[in-house]
Amino acid sequence: MSTLLFERSLPRFAAARVVSSFGSGRGAGVGPLRLVERDAPVVPAAGWVHVDPILSGICGSDLATLDGRSSRYFEDIVSFPFVPGHEVVGTLSEDASGAEGGLLSAGSRVVLQPVLGCAARGIEPACPACQAGHVGNCGYIAFGHIRPGLQTGFCADTGGGWSTAGLVAHSTQLYAVPDELTDHDAVTVEPVACAVHAVLGAPIEAGDVVAVIGAGTLGLLVTAALSHLAGVGRCATPAAVLVGARYAHQQRLARELGATEALPSDQLGRAVRRHSRSLSYGGASGVTATLSGGADVVLDCVGSPETIAQSLAMVRPRGTVALVGMSGKVTVDLAPLWHREVRLVGAYAYGTERSSGADDATSTFSLAFDVAAAQKTGRLVSATYPLARFEDAVAHAGAAGRRGAVKIAFDVRKGPIR
Amino acid sequence: MSRRPGFVLEVDRSTPPTLFWSGEGFGLETLPEGSRVIYAPEPMKAIEDPYRAIRHALLHPEGDRDPLPALLRPGMKLTICFDDVSLPLPPMEAPDIRQMVIETVLDMAAEAGVDDVELIAALALHRRMTEDELRHALGDRVYDAFAPHGLLTQHDAEDPANLLFIGETDQGEEVEINKRAATSDLLIYVNINLVSMDGGHKSVATGLASYRSLRHHHNPQTMRHSKSFMDQPASELHSSNWRMGRLIAESGVKIFQIETTLNNDTFPSNFGFLQKREWEWSLRDRASYAATSKALSKVPPRLARQIFHSIRSPHALTSVQAGEVEAVHARTTANVWAQQGVDVEGQTDILTMGLPYICPYNVNSIMNPILVACLGLGYFFNMYRGKPLVREGGVLIMKHPTRPEFHPGHHPSYIDFYEQVLTQTVDPVQMHKEFEESFATDPWYIHLYRTGHAYHGVHPFYMWYWCAHALAHLGRVIIVGGDTKAVRRLGFSPASSLADALEIASDVVGPSPTLTHMHNPPIFMSDVH
Amino acid sequence: MAGSGLRRRLGSARFPLAAPSWPTTVERPDPERKVGLDYDHDWSRRYPVRLARAIVMDNVARPAARVLAPATVRGLEHLQHVEGPVIFAANHLSHMDTPLLLTTLPVEFRHRTVVAAASDYFFDRTWKAVLSSFALATIPIERSRVNRKSGDTAAELIEDGWNLAIFPEGGRSPDGWTQPFTAGAAYLARRTGRPVVPVYLHGTRHVLPKSSASEGRAAGGSGTESRRSSRLRRAPIAVLFGSPLSPDEGENTHRFSDRIEAAVATLSREVHSDWWQARRSVSAVAPAEGAETAHRGPEASPWRRAWALDEPPSSERESEWPD
Repeated sequence: MSTLLFERSLPRFAAARVVSSFGSGRGAGVGPLRLVERDAPVVPAAGWVHVDPILSGICGSDLATLDGRSSRYFEDIVSFPFVPGHEVVGTLSEDASGAEGGLLSAGSRVVLQPVLGCAARGIEPACPACQAGHVGNCGYIAFGHIRPGLQTGFCADTGGGWSTAGLVAHSTQLYAVPDELTDHDAVTVEPVACAVHAVLGAPIEAGDVVAVIGAGTLGLLVTAALSHLAGVGRCATPAAVLVGARYAHQQRLARELGATEALPSDQLGRAVRRHSRSLSYGGASGVTATLSGGADVVLDCVGSPETIAQSLAMVRPRGTVALVGMSGKVTVDLAPLWHREVRLVGAYAYGTERSSGADDATSTFSLAFDVAAAQKTGRLVSATYPLARFEDAVAHAGAAGRRGAVKIAFDVRKGPIR
Repeated sequence: MSRRPGFVLEVDRSTPPTLFWSGEGFGLETLPEGSRVIYAPEPMKAIEDPYRAIRHALLHPEGDRDPLPALLRPGMKLTICFDDVSLPLPPMEAPDIRQMVIETVLDMAAEAGVDDVELIAALALHRRMTEDELRHALGDRVYDAFAPHGLLTQHDAEDPANLLFIGETDQGEEVEINKRAATSDLLIYVNINLVSMDGGHKSVATGLASYRSLRHHHNPQTMRHSKSFMDQPASELHSSNWRMGRLIAESGVKIFQIETTLNNDTFPSNFGFLQKREWEWSLRDRASYAATSKALSKVPPRLARQIFHSIRSPHALTSVQAGEVEAVHARTTANVWAQQGVDVEGQTDILTMGLPYICPYNVNSIMNPILVACLGLGYFFNMYRGKPLVREGGVLIMKHPTRPEFHPGHHPSYIDFYEQVLTQTVDPVQMHKEFEESFATDPWYIHLYRTGHAYHGVHPFYMWYWCAHALAHLGRVIIVGGDTKAVRRLGFSPASSLADALEIASDVVGPSPTLTHMHNPPIFMSDVH
Repeated sequence: MAGSGLRRRLGSARFPLAAPSWPTTVERPDPERKVGLDYDHDWSRRYPVRLARAIVMDNVARPAARVLAPATVRGLEHLQHVEGPVIFAANHLSHMDTPLLLTTLPVEFRHRTVVAAASDYFFDRTWKAVLSSFALATIPIERSRVNRKSGDTAAELIEDGWNLAIFPEGGRSPDGWTQPFTAGAAYLARRTGRPVVPVYLHGTRHVLPKSSASEGRAAGGSGTESRRSSRLRRAPIAVLFGSPLSPDEGENTHRFSDRIEAAVATLSREVHSDWWQARRSVSAVAPAEGAETAHRGPEASPWRRAWALDEPPSSERESEWPD
């Protein structure tokens, strides 16, 4: 049984950092990730079951980790060695109860909700966040009867998706996959849930101009989630959704998924200006031009210093910039944020979504299943690789945009494709 | 030596290759045997003493107008309007014809003791002129006498305080023009008729109008029914302007129109080979051509642009007439045809042309892809009377680098039109319905038009409507040597050579089509029988 | 790292290393600064300074002027037989008038001329006083009425053998026409007994115009802003010297001043007649005789005044347009 293992090794970290400076994902071969023979992890307590993964995706945060570029903030909520892979669709090896209650039979397909909150960690009573259903905000992810780890795929005790041996999951992490979803659709459900959570957390009102920066997996799924949820009335309908997409295939997909306009990133500001009917001034000698108004909400699905600066330049005074993409240590000029009273908020993971009426609390994952089915998000899976070709897989994921791809996943099944 | 008229050459084996413009450069192409090449008439002789001719015209006006001195008296409100930087092309050697006319008019006004005089650049929705451009057009003496006191202004179509609503024509067309001009005791318009589209009632009705007025004839339907807009009797654009102009006259605005024509001696001697028939190129011409085209190919586009835009044309005055608008214009039109008209028998399957570096809307600026389309499908395609040179469903092949480059100061709305409108549609009717209004009323474009040097937000749409007749008429448009992405964005087909273009064209017009090439410079009008 | 430590140490230096602060309880006298009319400009006439100025004038200013602002100079023959010192009285159009005038003077006058300049512009700040005194040998003077001190200073300098250049208008002309002359030049001529050489300057207002802040403002967005103030433009310029004038027996200052003004106006017609010929390129027509009393321009709107500035003499115009 083969498994990709991420071990703590300083020289390998350093090597990965250097090589990845030439391009994300290129350091997989020299970095701390190794293909090993390893048994399945042991079930740590009652309520945990074994899951056999079918497909497991490579996420932007995985790439950052492999490049040695993720923030040091995560060091205390990760335990080594761990098996990466938190975007997982798999089959249960035995009967189990699921996150939404009910009984899931052995052999049925499940999607993993990877956050290791109080329930998974056996912490009683659960923290306020977990009690309210906001498992993404759980504060006890370094405590409990398993080792620290914010999610499955970053914890030494749970295993992860990038392994044919499989992983172990708590019943509160298991969601049944509806039959109409293909495996490709299902493996995107976890990132779709991140997108849904980000969209519903942003203060979008009817008639707003919404800008989405970045049209990789996250940007495209944010676009997909926004247009679906607005369509079913779960969030307000914006006047325009403007997506900054560098590559032609991204622009096409963005439009298919419901964007009003999908343009190259350097033209996004101009489209925001036009749709918000703002004036523009300055912009001489390299300084970004300032808009008199701007987008009401900007969803930054990249999180780099350039995109954060771009977000601040295109949001209106008192508007909101949501950082959906994982960020790290950046140097950003916050003068526009201060002067224009902009709200900069983080959007991480998922939990429970409530709109204005407190009665309609729904888990993010269940909304994510709706979006995945309606928008056929499985079409974003551009290629799958076996674990043995992990260097190619990670390189492809790192250069996805340039190579006309969106999401790359590992095929870790032991049986035929469904 | 008597001036030779224009003529149509039939290409045979002994015909040397033909000159094609291509933006800031030119090349030689071998046209297939049996093609026709249309050459313009040679330049008419210029008037020797222009000041004298101008004064004569002012003292002997056409139509029911008194000589100008009789119309001038102390205490009156006089406004002199003039054509903006889009004319003539290329810009004239000093002294510009407007300078000569306006100096003569001002001499008379000074003699008559007229104190309240204002000068207005009648630019409609074009960009404001820079100080250098105004000095070039008017001369230093006029500029220094008026500009420092704020008496030289540029028409601001977005200034509600300076617009006057005159009324509606019987077709419901709103007429709104510059207030100072409309409320003057006498409005003198100084016009340059480079092509037969200019002049007549269009000078005041368009040059001094607002968007509210212009949209009644600057729209796809009107342009589709202007066949062509160079042929005033057959042009819906002009019918509308004529209605508006007559309404303006009836409402009491007294216009003294001064129209001028220039010969087509377009380029100075060092570029003289551009206008000559290839088989008449001397050794010097051939050396000039070789050196110039070699040098231009080595030089970066920016520098090539600078070189070309600094060219001053030797074209000179051939006629000047003044007085009542319609009477003046009839004579002017005849004079334009006398210089530019060429008789052509029958239409053709394929029409080819090289596009130069300059059109009315990029003087001292950059020619972006939309302007390339407008120059070819708007201006050159429509330079005919009778029938278009190319048959319905035929193919137009143009040669131009068509770089996706834009002047951000002059053409800001063009950038957004290219990136946000053309990506969604190339149909003039659809863009008129979905996008025109938001561009026309966008506050930032208006701000740049009023205070900067930008064309109005709606202007790129007008450029596209100018192509409407051609777009409806042609089967295909091919651009040779153009940036492939830009050409496709325009909805045209890219080809890397003329031979490839003819290959592509054969899909539409069959394997052995007839071909006609418009040899420009200089410009000419085809009388197609 | 090291730099900021050093900077910190320097910033926290105390007296006596750093200058002392003044205790609040002790009155501090105002620092003495002599500017304006009180400026002491004797130093600019000492030999070493005069030598330096002459070198700069002849080796830098004159060649530069020939290239940047070539001028037509006429009437130098009037200066050949007059003995210095003299008083040059010129019309005033631009800040470049003074350097232009000085660089076109014959050498026997050039390095021995002081220029009366407005004390409120050229001498209000110390650096401006130093600069103009060095470069142009200026002395401060009131614009409208010569006050006692500057009058005495000027007279003394003239008696010492210095030529004086003065602009009797008191300031630059707003539109090219000459403003009424003040009597300063006439007064000094009578007091010192030296002759006055009238000078007419033409065209400098186009090369270095009065800045638009002091001109009439162009109308808002639809006007044309004149951005010329920061750029030198090429335009033909001319310097015309007239024959020297001395006050008649018993002629009072004001009469003499009028005569000087008329002489300058007469010179102006020479320029216009030349220009008219150049523009029309017809065979030379002698300018009509007839002096003008003053170069004031017509009572008319600004554009007509500007138009008239370049107009030919009326006798020529009639013959120009046969019908």
